[in-house]
Amino acid sequence: MTTTTAVPQAVPQAAPPPSRRVPLLTRLARHRWLFLLLVPGIAYFALFKYWPMYGVTIAFQDYLPVLGFADSPWVGLKHFDRLFTSPEFPRILGNTLVLALLNVVFVFPAPIAVALLLNELRVGLLKKFVQTAIYIPHFLSWTIVASLTYLLFALGDGAVTQLATSAFGQDPQFLTAPEWFRPVIILQTLWKSTGWGTIIYLAALAGVDQHLYEAARIDGANRWQQLWHITLPAIRSTIVVMAILLSGNLLDTGFEQIYLMTNSLNREVADVFDTYVYFTGITQGAYSYSTAIGLFKALVGIVLIFGSNWLAKRFSQNGLF
Amino acid sequence: MTTKSSARTGRALAAAAAAGAVLLTAACGPDEPEAASLTTLTVMAPLLETQAPDPEGELQTAVEELIGKDLDITWVPNAEYGDKTTVTLASDQLPHVMVVQGKTPAFVQSAEAGAFWDLTDKLGDYPNLTANPAADQRSGVPIDTETIQLNASVNGTVYGVFRLRDAMRTAVVLRKDWLDALGLDAPTTTDELYEVAKAFSEQDPDGNGQDDTYGIVVPKWPGSYGTSAPYDVIETWFGAPNAWGEVDGELVPGFATEEFFEANAYVKKMVDEGIVNPDYATLDSGTWNDPFVQGKGGIIIDVSSRAGVLMGLFKEQDPEGYGDYVTMEGNLVGPDGDRHSYPTPGFNGFLAIPKSSVPTEEMLAEVLTVLDTMSSEEGQILLNNGIEGRNFEVVDGFARGLDEEDPEIELLNADIRAFAQLGTNTNGYQAYTALPAGDPELELWNHRQEIHTRDSETVVANPTLPLVSPTQVERGATLDQIVADARIKYYAGQLDEAGFRAEVQRWFDEGGDEIVTEMNELYAGLG
Repeated sequence: MTTTTAVPQAVPQAAPPPSRRVPLLTRLARHRWLFLLLVPGIAYFALFKYWPMYGVTIAFQDYLPVLGFADSPWVGLKHFDRLFTSPEFPRILGNTLVLALLNVVFVFPAPIAVALLLNELRVGLLKKFVQTAIYIPHFLSWTIVASLTYLLFALGDGAVTQLATSAFGQDPQFLTAPEWFRPVIILQTLWKSTGWGTIIYLAALAGVDQHLYEAARIDGANRWQQLWHITLPAIRSTIVVMAILLSGNLLDTGFEQIYLMTNSLNREVADVFDTYVYFTGITQGAYSYSTAIGLFKALVGIVLIFGSNWLAKRFSQNGLF
Repeated sequence: MTTKSSARTGRALAAAAAAGAVLLTAACGPDEPEAASLTTLTVMAPLLETQAPDPEGELQTAVEELIGKDLDITWVPNAEYGDKTTVTLASDQLPHVMVVQGKTPAFVQSAEAGAFWDLTDKLGDYPNLTANPAADQRSGVPIDTETIQLNASVNGTVYGVFRLRDAMRTAVVLRKDWLDALGLDAPTTTDELYEVAKAFSEQDPDGNGQDDTYGIVVPKWPGSYGTSAPYDVIETWFGAPNAWGEVDGELVPGFATEEFFEANAYVKKMVDEGIVNPDYATLDSGTWNDPFVQGKGGIIIDVSSRAGVLMGLFKEQDPEGYGDYVTMEGNLVGPDGDRHSYPTPGFNGFLAIPKSSVPTEEMLAEVLTVLDTMSSEEGQILLNNGIEGRNFEVVDGFARGLDEEDPEIELLNADIRAFAQLGTNTNGYQAYTALPAGDPELELWNHRQEIHTRDSETVVANPTLPLVSPTQVERGATLDQIVADARIKYYAGQLDEAGFRAEVQRWFDEGGDEIVTEMNELYAGLG
């Protein structure tokens, strides 16, 4: 390539039709009220989302409050080194990933399935009643959900425990056996979040053109075929968007729920990043180390969200951004 | 002591509103270093009551009058006090006086970096903040305030005025009616404890013809290894060190001894035989009393004050015969025939003074003078008993409550229970003991004094209380959790004895060896 070829390329771009070329300031002035409307939004993100990110610098320091951000010694990647070489790291990463995977496999599709079922209900009143009833758990705090679980699954005299004991002949030890920890967590999450999660899918389903079903019925499509060829394609983009959003939070297994359900006997499978950050950061005051863990988790989240967006675009042409 | 006689109607409502206001305003603390003379003292303290004291209330007014300063107290619910301490340390809004409940890594690091005043050479100037051998004649249990001062320090450097607590509290609380029904005596050895617990679970002590009782009630312990859990106590009875001890001239953690494993085999045997409540790994420690009162379990190994609490609960059910339900025994004689008594650290945290809020020596002197006044006999009585003639009177050296039904007095008494958290009693407890409400309570109280006096002869001290090692700060909590969890897994059968020993070995391999080396060096340095 020579400069002679480059210049002619640039020329047509540099000379658009003069009438469309409006100086930047004029354009700004013309839309000043729109920009003014934008100011609170930008200020919000700058103040509450970007400015606090300055704090992640302590992940690279030996931060001591008394010395402050400015005077705490810089230590480079020491805390990341400690995290990756720590004996707990493989276990915590593994636990977090397994719970994330279970969330994707069981918790993510549940609201879709329930929404589809509700959509098939003919009796309006029944549909409304079920919808409302399954929202309710969303409004209970994890503390209450955990207490209910302890009551129902308690060793010996819990209602579910007694059922299971009479069915299987032995107490499954729901609350203490390590192999029951994940099923109980997933069950709790399903119970608490499925109903609420259906809202967005029901909204998407309400937007499906009824004529399509009519036409399909005339063509002889049965219920399954209608579901497969009309309903699912219609809400596909919603599902993809929800999946991408989920991927960003994949490592957020939730602190309260895990913390409340952990005990000495299941800690082996219960420790996740969220509880580990609490343990090291808040109870032990290892400010820098726990920040480093949080930062690592956030980086993984970013990679996942861009990765899944890329995948979505590649396979279905409708990503989030 | 003077009392304001103004009418105090609607105080309960005002206190609730004020509690919120205090949290808001006091959380901000001093905005800038004030002039040398300070008129308002800001304090952060844990709240064990449900309601924060009214800042305009009778007690706070009396305390302010005593110390000659206004008080601005941030009351933080006890359950979240540790978290709040860590967060507050990271803020630039520290109070003048901060109750620090333990030598957490966050506190130690901040203190060693110079965030708090070093009081080692300063407390000697304040008579009520130093050792007083004549004090504490009331409880009959001798106290050694100098040792407690050292134990509350960080490797010998004193960063706070310690809050004195009874040095001996360990007790085995038992259902007296069950003992009587089975014709048994309270156990005095660990073997007898096993026998009694077994009888409680197998011989139908409540006489309802059903196999619905067990011997010992143990909750999910919130602390880790060496935190006065029933397991820690039993290990010490068996002759293991109290968390740390000297073996062959070297400091080692308790779980490096054979006695530790013997004691845990003993507990496991009881768990296996169904003598311990089956939900020992999950029972909420806040509901520890329930199985005892409901007649499901008959033995609690904890502190002696729990016996009084339990008696109070039975009193609600059976106001006449409540004295027949609860009895207690102190530390038990171990299998080696000796009594090894498990003590408390003798203090419960300390009051530390941050340099950022108290920048000058003059201000420090003012703050220490206030703490000295609060720990004087007059101050102690005000913080622990209240206002003589108003809510209590002195009978035979005990404090007897007055007008306890009066809502104003009720409020005052609640405030006193909260303010007791600010009392250091550093020179020995000089206030009055509350008069036991009835004969059964008095009998229980006297019995408690007897066993504690006896047990303080055979205390197994933890020599590492003053020591804080760097590796322990960094990894200690994670490591100790390994041992605490392994103990429970061993009882539950998730680990056999070899697996249990392997987990304990993991403590050493993952950083414990360094802690042992550092502890021994620090111990030698302490002289």
